[in-house]
Amino acid sequence: MYRGREGQWAFFLHRLSGIAILLYLLIHVLNISAAMWGPEVSERLFAIEHTPIFRIGLVGVIAAVLYHALNGLRVILMDFTAWGVRLQRELWYGVWLLFALFFVPALIKIVPEILRTMGVI
Amino acid sequence: MAIRARRYSQARAQAGTNLELAWWVFMRVSGLVLVFLVLGHLYMANILINAGDVDYNYIARRLSNTTWKIYDWVMLSLSLLHGMNGLRYVLDDWVRDARARFWTKIVTYSLAVLVFFVGSMSLLNHDFSKGLSENTRLEHSEGTR
Repeated sequence: MYRGREGQWAFFLHRLSGIAILLYLLIHVLNISAAMWGPEVSERLFAIEHTPIFRIGLVGVIAAVLYHALNGLRVILMDFTAWGVRLQRELWYGVWLLFALFFVPALIKIVPEILRTMGVI
Repeated sequence: MAIRARRYSQARAQAGTNLELAWWVFMRVSGLVLVFLVLGHLYMANILINAGDVDYNYIARRLSNTTWKIYDWVMLSLSLLHGMNGLRYVLDDWVRDARARFWTKIVTYSLAVLVFFVGSMSLLNHDFSKGLSENTRLEHSEGTR
């Protein structure tokens, strides 16, 4: 439809983030459900998850969810309004504007927590 | 085959079957609901608290609360259906070999059913309040949100 330009990037990133989120969802549900087998099992899994590398991965998951959610709203606008397709490029820039608006404060909250566990600050 | 339409009228024209059109509509409706459920979930688990502090007690408290059981189960059901149908679109596009596509779907759908079953058991069929002392429950009743 709009090959090689913003629209195609929006589509590709939507798929990529979707696959990443689905993969995390499957692991996350099994991991949280493991609490059924008691505190020992749970704590052993959390010990892994609270390592800096997993915390950084989680920040990536948050970014993927935020992009997928905002671009999903853009897709809905394109599907159900008369002007959505015409303004799809502007809407995509709007997606990134809102993404930054939510993600930067989240980073300011979460990154110091991770750095503290690493003993950097 | 996934519908490539950008408008409902086009989607209706392109849909091979009523089922495929129903999935097209479902992706938009569930997506809109999930925006609020999942972003709310992320806000509660990452912004209101430190995700690195989450432990067994936090889970047990949260999964002892009926509101969160319902919230989590709706989120689990919708996100698995939305995610697995999205994966179906991707596999139809990217896995060209019919046999490989068939088996990839069998394996991933089975995995999703298993995850849905295990997740539902933990939400609906396990009493997490048993291990919590009365004090812990009162002390943290606000913290469970």
